[in-house]
Amino acid sequence: MKKILVVFGGRSVEHDVSIITAINSVIKPLRLTKKYQVEPLYITKEGKWFWDESLSNIETYSSGKIANLTKKLKPADISFNDGLIISNGKSFNSKKVKIDIVFPALHGTYGEDGDLMGLLEMAGVAYVGCGVLASAVAMDKVISKQLAIANKIPITNFLFYQDKDYKANSSKIINEINTNLNWPLFVKPAHLGSSIGITRVKNNEELETAIELAFHYDSLVLVEEEVSNLIEVTLPIIGNEVPEPAYLERPTLQKTDFFDFEAKYLRGGKKGSKNGQASSSYSQVPAVLPKKLYKQAEELGVKIYKSFGLTGIARVDMLIDSKVGKVYFNEINPLPGSLYSHNFQKFGLSNVELVEKLLFFAMERFEQKNKINSSFATNYLKQF
Amino acid sequence: MFKNLFSLYRPSFPRNIAYMLQASEYDAIAYLKWLNKTKDFSRVSSRKQFVKTKFSSALYYILVFGIVIQIIIGLVVISLGFSHKIIGGQYYGAAVILSYPLIWPYLILFIIELAKYFVIAPRYRVLVSQAEQVFKSHPGKVIAVLGSYGKTSMKEFLNTVLSEGLKVAASPANKNVALSHAQFAKSLKGNEDVVIVEFGEGKNGDIAKLAKLTHPDIAVITGLAPVHQDHYKNLKQQADDLLSIKEFVEPKNIYLNLDNFFKDIKLPNNILTFSDSNVGDIKIGNVEVSFNKTTFDLIKGKNKSSFKTNVIGFHQVKYLALVYLLASQLGLKDSEIRKGIAKTKAFSHRMEPYVLNGAKIIDDSYNGNIEGIKAGLNLLKRLAGKRKIYVTPGLVDQGKDSKLIHHEMGRLIAKANPDIVVLMDNSTTNSIKSGLEDEKFKGQLIIEDKPLDFYNNLGVFVAQDDLVLMQNDWPDNYK
Repeated sequence: MKKILVVFGGRSVEHDVSIITAINSVIKPLRLTKKYQVEPLYITKEGKWFWDESLSNIETYSSGKIANLTKKLKPADISFNDGLIISNGKSFNSKKVKIDIVFPALHGTYGEDGDLMGLLEMAGVAYVGCGVLASAVAMDKVISKQLAIANKIPITNFLFYQDKDYKANSSKIINEINTNLNWPLFVKPAHLGSSIGITRVKNNEELETAIELAFHYDSLVLVEEEVSNLIEVTLPIIGNEVPEPAYLERPTLQKTDFFDFEAKYLRGGKKGSKNGQASSSYSQVPAVLPKKLYKQAEELGVKIYKSFGLTGIARVDMLIDSKVGKVYFNEINPLPGSLYSHNFQKFGLSNVELVEKLLFFAMERFEQKNKINSSFATNYLKQF
Repeated sequence: MFKNLFSLYRPSFPRNIAYMLQASEYDAIAYLKWLNKTKDFSRVSSRKQFVKTKFSSALYYILVFGIVIQIIIGLVVISLGFSHKIIGGQYYGAAVILSYPLIWPYLILFIIELAKYFVIAPRYRVLVSQAEQVFKSHPGKVIAVLGSYGKTSMKEFLNTVLSEGLKVAASPANKNVALSHAQFAKSLKGNEDVVIVEFGEGKNGDIAKLAKLTHPDIAVITGLAPVHQDHYKNLKQQADDLLSIKEFVEPKNIYLNLDNFFKDIKLPNNILTFSDSNVGDIKIGNVEVSFNKTTFDLIKGKNKSSFKTNVIGFHQVKYLALVYLLASQLGLKDSEIRKGIAKTKAFSHRMEPYVLNGAKIIDDSYNGNIEGIKAGLNLLKRLAGKRKIYVTPGLVDQGKDSKLIHHEMGRLIAKANPDIVVLMDNSTTNSIKSGLEDEKFKGQLIIEDKPLDFYNNLGVFVAQDDLVLMQNDWPDNYK
């Protein structure tokens, strides 16, 4: 029985979304297969790592018991000397498990952005999802746009600023934005997902407030033009060398002007979406678009997936100007919330099948990588 | 071993005992059987949960109170031992405390039996006697619905269709014992044209007892299949028990489903039989079943009438045809009957279709017999689905033939050719598995040891256009 370590929580503003992704969309379906030993590894908001069966129970978090539990539990020990080995202490009754595949279910910083992947590469263990570079690039909206330009992928006009530069020259920057970009604009933290800290602005007053808010979450902020006659779409894709897109999905915008965190996760009814999946009422799956435009967006999504070297799973967000029929790249989410299982389910792939496929892709990439020789004999040291 | 021992002293112990009594329906034999085979008392509730009612809560509090008193007595004896007022008091006291799990599970049963004898039984006798007078003097036609399966559905079909032209009262849900009928009698107004009562059979003599209580004019025997085989000697005795209705209802007013009925039994003369092909002289034809509806024709002589129902399943048509016949005899017009049949729908957990994450689910978890299994698998085979998934824990109360029946069930499942079979791990699993192997089942087999986890997370297991059939239920008191 393969041993799967599901890593979630983390030092990220998307900590809570990660818990739901891990428990509802990864641990539960993996356990239903009866094929794997699934081990939950929870990282607190402060960055402490814990490993215990009770951490795979959603009630531990919803009831607030997690605070007491993490005080009682011993932090997990991770060893990289012989693959990835996790243990919960050194006492006579401590447990130790050698992990075969890691399933990162972290969103945002220190997880989805390539940091964890680097650690796993060092440990020499297979893991689900995108690699170090693809994750890092995907989670940086500025680098993403620059890479898109290099690959001749259409994007909207944008500018970006560091926190310290803005503090020093805020009025100059506001002027620069006014001169070079057309209103309305979007202000976004460069490294966050789940639409956190994103604001649509129509004037300078809103712009300044939005930039302040974005800097609250990130030290790099992006300001970009809005697409006219906008249709927002998103395309979840799985696979390594041969990407397998699911349905193109269209968020149905209601009260708020755009597809924000609240609309995505909290507005699935009066008390929100119970299963933690992005609520079904907020989107149209598959997106109802003219056939040609649907195909164009799907092809662009796949091109982006390949160009960015994404593997395992990712979600590509695109913006469509419905009047001129042009599709723009918006951003990439290398680990979509709840794996976007609602979309794959509609596409005909159950959550159980989805996680099993992701494990397969993880092993496929791992085995391919292991075939590449990483050592080379030289006489270099003999000269010393 | 330590875990099992420790489970006796967990704070949840009284609640678990109360749950076991409740889940055994306060039947002493069923409860004692369960009690004796239970090793880990922390894991008795994996399928259902303790439900607070006045009675179950009272039992729970009696248990808690009794255990606390016993512990206090033990502590007093220990302290008297330490103060040398009782020699060896420490040991006696410890024994008093440690023995509560050996005493209270049995003592509480004794208390229940006393309550049954001195409180419940006298009240029961009064209620039943009053109810018998109500049924006896009722001017409407009383229709008894009995059989090993399909009773609640048949009762609901009759209720729905007859209500189109008559004033009808029907016993509620699947309540089918004397006490529930006595309660039901209290709700009758006396102006009903038809009263429908469901007869539950659990042991020999039950049918006669219920017939004496309700005085039926018409009886419908929905079918025979092995159920409650722990209480009936054999299938013949079960068939005889059903046919004992002839002592209370004129044979010409008895309608019997002949499909798979006991072959070597002499049926009363003039009894009307029905089957998948006909009901008396009404022939059944052109049956089409989809996920949402069933359509069929009824042909009498040269007249053909077409019907549509929200009920799904080929096997259901004969019951609706019988409803048509009874409704006609009771004076309903064809248009009223057609309207009524169009309104009929599945009762909860009986071939009940619903959609979950785009998958088509048929919930037949209240089915508990091999005939229902055959009907369900026939439907699974004939309906379309991207992946076909069959889920079952197996059948309870199948008596000494349980292994054979479950082996046969495995073969039937394999013949229906589902892509995935999910079995809930219990004493029947190996027999079903061997049946699957004999029939060379090629799909995926999953053995689930946490049924509740599976049922609660079915949504993550399925995808758009999957077809899932869930049959049977496996209460916690069966292993």
